Amino acid sequence: MWYKRTIPLLIVFTIGVLAFAHNYVPLRISDQFRERLSEWFRIIGGFALFLGAYSLLHMHVSRIRKQQPGWAYSVFVFVGAAGMIIVGLLNEGYGPLRSAPVGQPTWYQWGYDYIQKPCQATIFSLLAFFMASAAFRTFRARNTSAALLLASALIVMFGRVAIFQTVSAWFGAQSSFARHADGLFSATTDAIMEYPNLAATRAILLGISLGAISQSLRILFGIERSYLGGGD
Amino acid sequence: MDAPETSTSPMRQNIERIVLIALVIAFAVVTYIVVRRPAGVGEEPKATRDIIGVIISAGLTLIMYSFLYRDNPLFKMAENLYVGVALGYEAILVWRQSLVPEIVDPLFRAPTGQALVSAIMERGIAILLGLMLLTRLSKKHSWFSRYSYGLMIGWWAGFGIYAVTDSMILKQLQASVAGLQKDVADSAWASTLFSGDWFTQVGLPIFGSAVLLVGVVSVLFYFFFSIEHRGPAGAVSKVGIWFLMVAFGAMFGYTVMGRLALLIDRFDFLLFDWLKLKNNLGI
Amino acid sequence: MAAPRADIKRIAVTRHIIYALLTVAIIVPMLRPTPCSFQPTPNSRRFHERIEQLPAGSEVLLSFDYSPDAKAELYPMSVTLLEQCFERGLIPVVMTHWPEGVRLAEQACHDVAKKYGKESGKDYVLLGFKPGGGNLLLNMGENFKSAFPEDYYHQPTATMAALKGVKTLRDIDLAVDLAAGPTVDMWVVYGSDRYGFPLAAGTTAVAAPKCYPYLQSGQLKGLLGGMRGAADYEQLVVKGVGPAGKLMLPQTVAHLLLIVLLVLANGRFTLARLRGKEGT
Repeated sequence: MWYKRTIPLLIVFTIGVLAFAHNYVPLRISDQFRERLSEWFRIIGGFALFLGAYSLLHMHVSRIRKQQPGWAYSVFVFVGAAGMIIVGLLNEGYGPLRSAPVGQPTWYQWGYDYIQKPCQATIFSLLAFFMASAAFRTFRARNTSAALLLASALIVMFGRVAIFQTVSAWFGAQSSFARHADGLFSATTDAIMEYPNLAATRAILLGISLGAISQSLRILFGIERSYLGGGD
Repeated sequence: MDAPETSTSPMRQNIERIVLIALVIAFAVVTYIVVRRPAGVGEEPKATRDIIGVIISAGLTLIMYSFLYRDNPLFKMAENLYVGVALGYEAILVWRQSLVPEIVDPLFRAPTGQALVSAIMERGIAILLGLMLLTRLSKKHSWFSRYSYGLMIGWWAGFGIYAVTDSMILKQLQASVAGLQKDVADSAWASTLFSGDWFTQVGLPIFGSAVLLVGVVSVLFYFFFSIEHRGPAGAVSKVGIWFLMVAFGAMFGYTVMGRLALLIDRFDFLLFDWLKLKNNLGI
Repeated sequence: MAAPRADIKRIAVTRHIIYALLTVAIIVPMLRPTPCSFQPTPNSRRFHERIEQLPAGSEVLLSFDYSPDAKAELYPMSVTLLEQCFERGLIPVVMTHWPEGVRLAEQACHDVAKKYGKESGKDYVLLGFKPGGGNLLLNMGENFKSAFPEDYYHQPTATMAALKGVKTLRDIDLAVDLAAGPTVDMWVVYGSDRYGFPLAAGTTAVAAPKCYPYLQSGQLKGLLGGMRGAADYEQLVVKGVGPAGKLMLPQTVAHLLLIVLLVLANGRFTLARLRGKEGT
């Protein structure tokens, strides 16, 4: 049906061309156009977040209803979500439309501080263990490229902390050799970051930018249509 | 990532159950001892809900770390609880910070009729587009959402072409060349040419800028797969690989620093906030 | 083909030994600290100087775009930034693009403002979170107070003393993005390059290497990277060791452990190769 597919594609093309071209139109109407659209998107963005929340909850409801393996754990998702939503709406008696005074502790903050924050921080901190173990078991200088990678990694690992001065302090000494060694590694690390690292990341950034422009053009001309979703 | 062990013999399972019960008892005993300890000099007494909060945080932290041994029901429970709490937190935040000031207050708590009319004129279309977005969840009516998505995606595709070209391509290319141009044209050439300072003040910067330019070009060339990387093209591509390897090594070094920082922070919490230990400096 | 059972067991034992070593390498220096001195890097000094140059009364926009998993590196930077702003009489305007960052921003603002006796709305503003990313920056660039009609405490921004001179992003004297993800790119492309205000960044160690192109091109005026950057910045502002500096010693020992492990593993591998056997 033309109003289900053709009109949205035309909207994409028209708005896309206007979005690009308006930057070259030094008139007030061009600024007003941008201002109006960006205000609309700010409001639409709030609705978009609820789509994600619904998808997540729907997945867990499905799991419970079909009693898939591990379905009992999904109950905890609802316990956590319901708990936070209830305390957030009650808001220590101030209700959902007002804010509690500055500095007053609330159960909503408590849930974030003592459940979300430690869980999120700890899950990501597990990566340190996995990284150490994986590096020991697999990081080998098998060829020149790998050797370069390893050497660069070791220099940066030396350079961003003061290993020599710390070890020298363990032996009760304040060695100038240690200070100079740490200084040398730090300067070498700075040089690595400001020259080869900068060159490579800049080239990657340029490549990504060219890819983004190419993808944008594909979207504008209707070649890329995955955002339309399924159906006719 | 290392795969935790999942299959165990019945005897091993019994041992693990006993160890788990012993650890839970140890946690309870340690927590009791710590909570009963009087507050130190200069230490502000904590509210009861905060004391309970620290205990729960410590418990959740240790449960999360149990994943290092193997995946287990307690970990799965904590993980799902965290997902639910995060979801609830974000829902309330979006309600308070986005929906209330943008929709509820202007439309349902407008001070005057004129303010209400003005709010409808300004936000009506946006609210309608937002509601159309939600139809994505319906198989039959999801085509309504294509209008909202089309508007947003079209806008960002078109706007992005201009913005990315300016900030990420032109400015970056300019910076790649401008450094070398500036160093070569540096007025310090004349004053330092016959002095020992030429190398550090002029020579090294020119060398650095040249290395940068060579690096950018060779790495870009490495990613250009339309011609075969043989002969001179292969040599340039090889230089690009070297630059990439040094950069990835540096990124690995920084990643090590970053991941360790997270771990150190959690141990800091467990030792000094939960167990209230003091180091040998008494702090 | 599945790996032999003995190999799986050996890998598991090695893995747990490494976990135990890493745990000891972090806990022991925390409980028995020894002196750990380091000099702030040139980049950290540059970041600090950029803020020191601002005259009193300048509006400094701080965007705390991180979540609890980046708290270790970026929360100390947030606190030190606020301290430097209050010490210099600057007006921090705090916001975030990440929902999980709001509470961290609120905690930092509340704790530091209490220490300096500063008042919300008058000496600083906590705007909170709004969805939109780059779109929010465009909104702020055209009409700052329409993008945030209220602050986090539902006080109207139109009449707020702390935002008196701010109509658009062009009126900001400096913006600092504390970023755990790709928000630096967004701030550069849709913020500073478009509206011409100076931008600096503090990032996690993972994100820092990717910001160097912006630093060299001048699109970023300063960059702090990871816990080392936070510790350097604390030294420069607080003139001593702060929460991040305190954790540099376990960081150093953990680095040393990893370096030793990598050297041992590669030494063994190289020796095996030299002897003509296939290394593992």
